Amino acid sequence: MDMRQCRQHLSHMDMVFYSFPASWRLFTVDPSALKQSLFIEENMNAIQSVAPSSLKSNNFLLACAAAAAAAMLFSAGAHADATWDKIKQRHKIVVGVLLSGGPFGSIDPATQKPNGWNVELAEDIARQLGVALELVQVQPSNRVQLLQQGKADILIAGMEWTPERNEILSFSPTPFYRVGGIAIVPQSSSIKRWEDLRGKEVCLSQGSNYAKPLTAEYGASVKGFKSSAESLLALRGNNCVAAVHDAILLNPLVNGNPEWQGYRTISPELIPGNSVVWARKGEQDTVAAIDKIVQGWHKSGWLIATEKKLNISPASPALVELHEKFKKS
Amino acid sequence: MQDQLLSHGVRVLKGLGLNYEFLLAASERAAFLHGLVVTIELSLATMFCSLLIGATLAAMLVSPQHWLSWSARAFVELTRNTPTLVQLYCAFLVFNMLLTQALQSAGGNPLTPFFWVVTVISLHKGAFHAESLRAGLQAIPAVTLEAAASLGFTRTKQLWLVQFPLALRFVLPSLINNLVDLVKMTTIASAIAVGDITYESIMIWTQRDNVLELMLLLLLFFGALTYLVNLGGRWLERRLRMPGYGQ
Repeated sequence: MDMRQCRQHLSHMDMVFYSFPASWRLFTVDPSALKQSLFIEENMNAIQSVAPSSLKSNNFLLACAAAAAAAMLFSAGAHADATWDKIKQRHKIVVGVLLSGGPFGSIDPATQKPNGWNVELAEDIARQLGVALELVQVQPSNRVQLLQQGKADILIAGMEWTPERNEILSFSPTPFYRVGGIAIVPQSSSIKRWEDLRGKEVCLSQGSNYAKPLTAEYGASVKGFKSSAESLLALRGNNCVAAVHDAILLNPLVNGNPEWQGYRTISPELIPGNSVVWARKGEQDTVAAIDKIVQGWHKSGWLIATEKKLNISPASPALVELHEKFKKS
Repeated sequence: MQDQLLSHGVRVLKGLGLNYEFLLAASERAAFLHGLVVTIELSLATMFCSLLIGATLAAMLVSPQHWLSWSARAFVELTRNTPTLVQLYCAFLVFNMLLTQALQSAGGNPLTPFFWVVTVISLHKGAFHAESLRAGLQAIPAVTLEAAASLGFTRTKQLWLVQFPLALRFVLPSLINNLVDLVKMTTIASAIAVGDITYESIMIWTQRDNVLELMLLLLLFFGALTYLVNLGGRWLERRLRMPGYGQ
């Protein structure tokens, strides 16, 4: 059997597979398990002794299945995490990063290269794992799908921990930042507090987790745009009275961007949450490895130094708190 | 009773691995149903406006007056050769913003995102209609027009009473083709947060991650909508058929 063909075939299966509802997958074999088993050459030798007839036959899928079944028998328990195997096998980690502008992630206009907080973190993870780094730009509206479809191995995309995300994804438990939403309004606006948004139109990006508290708690009517860039442009065009985004995106705008001089922000932060690194559901080895790195960052104070280097203000008290906590351990 | 039926249906689908739980949340169900209505409104409004624009542009394109035909030609080429989404962003995020700033003293900008979507799609599809109609207008034999002229029809009367009615019969399949495409094009409204069915679906699936389930609903809905357009077109074709003309 041509192993390359088999692998290719399976990688297509993988893509189809992750677009099905989770419970459908229960009825089928996880293709990532098939794939990982195919990377192990000695297993292939074992299979050839176990099932020589099926390998000689033209029945390609049957051969693949037999190979996988046998491989799983031989490697049971040793490999529970397809992402981790994929990273090791390719010597490369694919990180989905959010580049919505500002110091947390943007594209340098001069070099066209991504830079900022998310990128620095991704680079350090790849460095510590000793693998190459590939960056994939994600949007709040598509990041979960890109991760689930295997287009990215992990996400560093300003995604806070929520119970809903916890249901469908895995994450490294140590947060690398704490962030909530703030509103940006024109200086002349009558809006002073969150409560003033009742019945008013508020711009945000599609996929934002501020939609729920804004509608449920404050009675605002939300308008979701493709990304924060369009939402902020819509605010400038007076299509909504305020735009609500991560504090880390809006604070730099009002603090340092001359284009946003006529605007101010509304605090306190809405549903402040822990930003964590996300991986596909059940990928425990990947998550454990990443968590060790994140804890190391807090221990050495690297994150505080990076925050200073990128001129992120105001400095996050959460980072200091986490540094103190991990310094002792 | 209805609620019970709905929750039962959702449970059955859940057993099949399809998560339609948003239908049980009153606010999300209302948003989704409102999205259906908005898409139908958008489709009807853009169909009407685009046909009006298309007919006007086609009349201009075949006009013997050069300044008319050339300006129409320039407009058709410009709108046809740029992507609709770019036009929409340009109109809504740039032009509308400038307009808002200019009208700040005069009591604000009354134009809604809905208006901009209808305008942009109508102009874009109007250019396609115009080219289809031009094919029909130019297919009328010269002798027919000479006969009309000899009966004392002016140029304008020839156009409206002879050329257009005949041309319409030639170009109906092509116009229906454009209209089917137009119905699907209304989905770009979601990019500027007009609450159409696509937008409401995106807002639901980004919270619940039930992309496949909503995609299936979208597929069914647009399938039904375009099928209706198609049926209407076929009916018109039969209705307008002239014995001994063309077939």
